[in-house]
Amino acid sequence: MQQPEERTIVVALAGAPNVGKSTVFNLLTGLSQHVGNWPGKTVEQKTGVLRRGNLTMNIVDLPGTYSLTANSVEEQIARDYLVNESPDVVVAVLNAASLERNLYLVAELIELAPRLVVALNMMDVARQQGIKIDAEALASALNIPVVPIVANKNRGVNELVAQIEQECLRPAGWREIRHIEYGSDMLRVIDRVAGMLNTEVASPYSQHWAAMKLLEGDEQINRLIRLRYPPDRWPKLDSYLKQNESAAMEIATLRYEWVARMAAAAQEKPHIGRVSLTERIDRAATHPVSGIIILLLVLSLMFGLVYSIGIPIQKFLEVNLIERGQELVYSSLAFTPAWFQSFLADGLLSGVGLVLTFIPILMLFFIFWALMEDVGYTARAAFVTDRFMHLLGLHGKSCLPLVLGFGCNVPAVLGTRIIDSPRARLLTILITPLVPCTGRMAVVAIIAAAFFGSQAVLVSMGIIVFSLLMLVIIGMILNKFVIRGESEALIMELPLYHVPDMRLVGLVTWQNTLAFIKRAGTIILLVSLTVWLLAILPNGRIDDSFLANVGRWFEPAGGLMGLNWQMMVALLSSFVAKENTIATLGVLLGGHGVDFTQQLRQLLTPAAAVAFLVFQVLFIPCAATVAAMRHETGGWKWPAFSVAFQLVLSFAMAVLVYQAAHLAGL
Amino acid sequence: MESERTQEYLEAIYKRQKKDRLVATSLLAEDLKVSAPAVTDMLRTLEGKGLVKYRAGRGASLTVLGRQQAMQVIRRHRLWERFLTDVLGMKWDKVHEEACKLEHVTSPGIEEGLENVLGDVDTCPHGHSIPDRNGKIKDENSLALSGFQPRQEACISAIDNEDARFLRQVARLGLTPGTCVKVLRKDRDGTITVEANGREVAVPAGVAGSLLAKPAAAAGGVKAKEMPLSKLPGGHSAIISHCGGGRHALGRCLSLGFTPGSTVRMLENFGGGPILVKLHDTEVALGRGVAEKILVQMNT
Repeated sequence: MQQPEERTIVVALAGAPNVGKSTVFNLLTGLSQHVGNWPGKTVEQKTGVLRRGNLTMNIVDLPGTYSLTANSVEEQIARDYLVNESPDVVVAVLNAASLERNLYLVAELIELAPRLVVALNMMDVARQQGIKIDAEALASALNIPVVPIVANKNRGVNELVAQIEQECLRPAGWREIRHIEYGSDMLRVIDRVAGMLNTEVASPYSQHWAAMKLLEGDEQINRLIRLRYPPDRWPKLDSYLKQNESAAMEIATLRYEWVARMAAAAQEKPHIGRVSLTERIDRAATHPVSGIIILLLVLSLMFGLVYSIGIPIQKFLEVNLIERGQELVYSSLAFTPAWFQSFLADGLLSGVGLVLTFIPILMLFFIFWALMEDVGYTARAAFVTDRFMHLLGLHGKSCLPLVLGFGCNVPAVLGTRIIDSPRARLLTILITPLVPCTGRMAVVAIIAAAFFGSQAVLVSMGIIVFSLLMLVIIGMILNKFVIRGESEALIMELPLYHVPDMRLVGLVTWQNTLAFIKRAGTIILLVSLTVWLLAILPNGRIDDSFLANVGRWFEPAGGLMGLNWQMMVALLSSFVAKENTIATLGVLLGGHGVDFTQQLRQLLTPAAAVAFLVFQVLFIPCAATVAAMRHETGGWKWPAFSVAFQLVLSFAMAVLVYQAAHLAGL
Repeated sequence: MESERTQEYLEAIYKRQKKDRLVATSLLAEDLKVSAPAVTDMLRTLEGKGLVKYRAGRGASLTVLGRQQAMQVIRRHRLWERFLTDVLGMKWDKVHEEACKLEHVTSPGIEEGLENVLGDVDTCPHGHSIPDRNGKIKDENSLALSGFQPRQEACISAIDNEDARFLRQVARLGLTPGTCVKVLRKDRDGTITVEANGREVAVPAGVAGSLLAKPAAAAGGVKAKEMPLSKLPGGHSAIISHCGGGRHALGRCLSLGFTPGSTVRMLENFGGGPILVKLHDTEVALGRGVAEKILVQMNT
């Protein structure tokens, strides 16, 4: 190295979705990565560090985008980062198997990034597709260094790092970047608009660039300029833009023509008769009939695994860690104060401890989800379910997270990240808690069995169908009246199927699990301790505790649906975890030497039992779900809304059902 | 079913026959690589079976019965070619010879099986229409590329020479069926220079004569049908002529490459659901509402 002193540079990774950018990022940064959110946004930001000799590279993973026009939050973040932070080197990660699609982003990056390196990923996939790419020819056509890599096999990464190193030593702008030729007609229009702007109005962007984006119909730039522009002269600019409305289409067309020229110089495509494996699979996987069948098979595989592996592990942990632990606390810590034993056994173990036993189940969901994402199946599932989701003003991407909710609402809320429209995402998050999770279904099954004998299955099914019906209705109401804005159309790329990168799947699962454990250590801990305190204060007995008082306080309300205070307390305790309903009932009714089922029957009429089931299944989301909602919506506003509306909804529905059942003579 | 040799004769006559004109014996001798007297003998036999009309010294043409049988062989040939490329993944320059052998040993059951496996296919890998079960074939009515004039735009529809070396040359030039070209100039020696896939390609006269093409929609030579993308039937390709819709959807469509001049192929289009197209080498799903606002031109 010529320069002996320490140097720190910033390297940004840009690329479209499905190009293996995360894998490249993981290879470069290893485990030295930090996962957070972009300031003020609910989009994941990943940063990491790579050290080479005395050079430190701070690597920033930009969100996956197809262009730099602000069509989505991701695109806005990516280009604001490039303009405001001006990273030393930008690495454009491209998928060699779909070069044309990916070069479009390069066409835009050329205008904003002073030093650009192209990482041509998935060279092996391209070869399998029969596409031959000459990286050197591409480099000389673009006049940008191009490094062919196969990230998931760790090939070419050292060369990429070396190229970045070399590039950052050069003065910015040393390499004459060939701009896209927009043609004299288009340039005249762009120059005309640029002439109407000045540096202050356009900053931090260049006038030329801002003018181009105005013509492309970029809403964010339009708002920005309008705010700063002299109001008396705005109508003139605005009408000129309106006159040239077709410029957006022309600019994109010119860029794609440029892309076609670049691609033609460097790639040889297979002849047209060849049908790729992806296309052959998709003939079945995206067909309206066979596609749904395949989706159902995939989902039953997922739930099959969860039920056959996840739930037994959870039960094992519950028995061996929680219950044994509680016994151990009472037997071996008998010398400590009673409140301390209770704190350990009933506060920690049966609260947070119980929640933590669900980690194996959650991990299974995380793994399955990451696998489906990485293989490329998620997009197909979204495609085949799109027609049904339109009913709710949503599109197909919302369906899978909701289905995940049948297992557990927490991964479902996290899974909404695949939805690109913020509005659709929020709507999906809000209706997710109406999907009955395994916890709630377990409660429904036990209570139904206690009351309805042979018809228990029928009643359980009825409750679940009812809950889904509520989901549809509430979804439609929220869509129409609560969340403003147009519902967005489905526009999505279906990536090529490929063998999943197990390291990436492992990493994603680990990061999600870690985040869950962190939340368990904070919000869920707080909630479970609060519930525990309420349950033992002031006398150490639940019967006359604050919680019982709260329950009694609610008794008049409970009376409307035939429920007494014990049932209300059981319901309140389900805020820690839905399964707690049964445990709390066990405590409240137990200790009298009478069978649990018998006791329940004495407490409730069948009508009240049905009302209770309705109440329970629609009741507020559990603490873990609320915490996930806060994380994903970036504040307390929407979780609070969700808790409030479900409280009202569940109460109203339970009263309605009870009164109706009563009238019907149940 | 007639013998293999009979089938080959019928096929050869069909391929050479234009309208009701007679096909000269010498042409058949050349195609079938046999001597002229042998052809004459065989044509007489075929006439006896009522499959061809034969005029001594002038040539032969197919009778209705002969044509029906020829179509059946051709159908099997083209189905096999599709099967070999699509299902077995063989290269398009190798399948013709294989299909020539297979077509003669194909029972109606296998023919039906091929059809089921392949689903909705219209053409062989070289772009020729596959006759339907009743022997009906879509009119190919295309011209040789050599017949086009400078500034005209054309889309290659089929390759009229299935020799392996020739096909490889066509692939190297990037002129496979579905490619649209613009004629730039014609040299005196018959070489025709076209713009294809964004670059200039010089097509030797011999090649241009065997490339069948149709006037491109934009050239206005043939009336092209403009329709919303949502109406494009599955399996068909078209060229985007306009991208509309609200600001937001428009921006996203444009950045994904729904730009005028781009070729799309419809993969899935069922009922009221979303559509799936192939565009710029990747599959893209579009909501029906968006697809209604994108206009495409399909060659009629």
